[in-house]
Amino acid sequence: MTTSNMPAISFDRVSLSIANRKIIDDVSFEVSKGEFVCVVGPSGCGKTTLLRMVIGLAQPNDGEVRRFGQPVTGPVRDVAVVFQDYGRALLPWRTAAGNVALALEAAGTPKAERADTIASLLEKVGLRGHGDKYPGQLSGGMQQRVQIARCLAQQPGILLMDEPFGALDAMTRQTLQDEIAEIVAGTGTTVMFVTHDIDEAIYLGDRVVQLDANPGRVAEISDVSLARPRDQISSREAPEFLRLRHVLFAHIERSAHP
Amino acid sequence: MRRSPFASLLWYLAPVLFALSIFGLWAVVTELGLVKKIFLPPPVDVFVNLWKGMIEGNLLQLTGATLLRMFYGWVLASAAGIFIGTLIGLSETARAWLTPTLELLRPLPASTLLPIGIALFGLNANMLLAVIAFGAIWPVLLATVDGFRFIEPRLKEVAAILGISRFSFAFKFGLPSAAPDILSGMRLSLTACLIITVIGEIVTAQDGLGTAIILAARSYRSVDLFAGVVLLGAVGFLNNALLSALRRALLPWQKT
Repeated sequence: MTTSNMPAISFDRVSLSIANRKIIDDVSFEVSKGEFVCVVGPSGCGKTTLLRMVIGLAQPNDGEVRRFGQPVTGPVRDVAVVFQDYGRALLPWRTAAGNVALALEAAGTPKAERADTIASLLEKVGLRGHGDKYPGQLSGGMQQRVQIARCLAQQPGILLMDEPFGALDAMTRQTLQDEIAEIVAGTGTTVMFVTHDIDEAIYLGDRVVQLDANPGRVAEISDVSLARPRDQISSREAPEFLRLRHVLFAHIERSAHP
Repeated sequence: MRRSPFASLLWYLAPVLFALSIFGLWAVVTELGLVKKIFLPPPVDVFVNLWKGMIEGNLLQLTGATLLRMFYGWVLASAAGIFIGTLIGLSETARAWLTPTLELLRPLPASTLLPIGIALFGLNANMLLAVIAFGAIWPVLLATVDGFRFIEPRLKEVAAILGISRFSFAFKFGLPSAAPDILSGMRLSLTACLIITVIGEIVTAQDGLGTAIILAARSYRSVDLFAGVVLLGAVGFLNNALLSALRRALLPWQKT
């Protein structure tokens, strides 16, 4: 493959209009292989639409979205997606283990290997002993863990996360932030993480892409030079964290009161 | 809501008491001679006769014949309904093109098909089975199509991302998602099967409960007539119980 040194995701002058309304205007940025990039912006900035373009569920009117150098033509198993609405993204008639199994069945993993893989994935997301429960019997945080485990079962080159912790309470959110950072660190997976929470974006990202709304365009791209592994207390008190927070919030202030 | 032991006992007994009171009222009405016995026999006579008919007569055999016919028709209607419904449900084009016609055929009373069935296939058991199945297929077929139509859009995206084939999608997403609808359809279908079976037996003079009831009515054997009606009621009641059990067994993820 000649794609090895290509960026995992590239937006190349991407624009999208729906019914003569510009949703996304001339967006360009790249996500390197193994990088954790957070896309942050107010609602209506098109951040979810950008993510859907990487999946191949939305197409730009202008410009091109590429994965590993290849133009996106449609969904592939190498691109896993953690949706915000875990309640709808899981199969309610399958247990936690069954939902993870779905990804393995789709990939054609031999039946004999599935049980071990499922057990270790559930263990990894902290759901040991919950494999035979239906989503309806699990808390929101646990359901989101199931979805994450199913995405990991895809062994994706690219992991897309669409405000995955937005519907969870603050404590659960912090726990899952640390878990996802730890899980991803070991795999070399490229992550594009969409959120409207600036603190979350800085805490998780190697870089933060800040978008403006109406139409969505790139406002600022910031490197986050916080050491890993990060810590919910000390990292959030680090001068670099506070500096970035200042920069990103200041931009929002400016665009709200020009 | 917390109830005292006495209140909760009453809560469970109430449905039984209500049913018994209907029979009580029936007994009182006949005992007082408010209605002639030839039109409304006393409940005791009916049940005694029912018992004798089963032990000495061929009532059990007739009920068996009717039940078997109903059951075969139901299985046939359900299998065909789910299969055709899945084929239509999977394709948006098929759904758009065929649904209006199906909706047109649905309200057609199956008993009106009996004369057509007789004209085409003659007076025989297979013709009756075909008419039962045809008449009872609609609730299942349309519920299946509907079930597929209302699959959570997010799940379709998940299937697309995982690269699930259309065939797998039908089994792993479509049918489980449609299962509650399908089971509701099958419940309606079973009731329809019972009705069409009884009417069909009467029209085509096949041995069964329907024929037994109509013969009893025509010869003013009201005790036999009521015995048959009570038996049919019991069959309907058991059908519902069966379907509820089936639902619990097949949809363990649904809280009831």
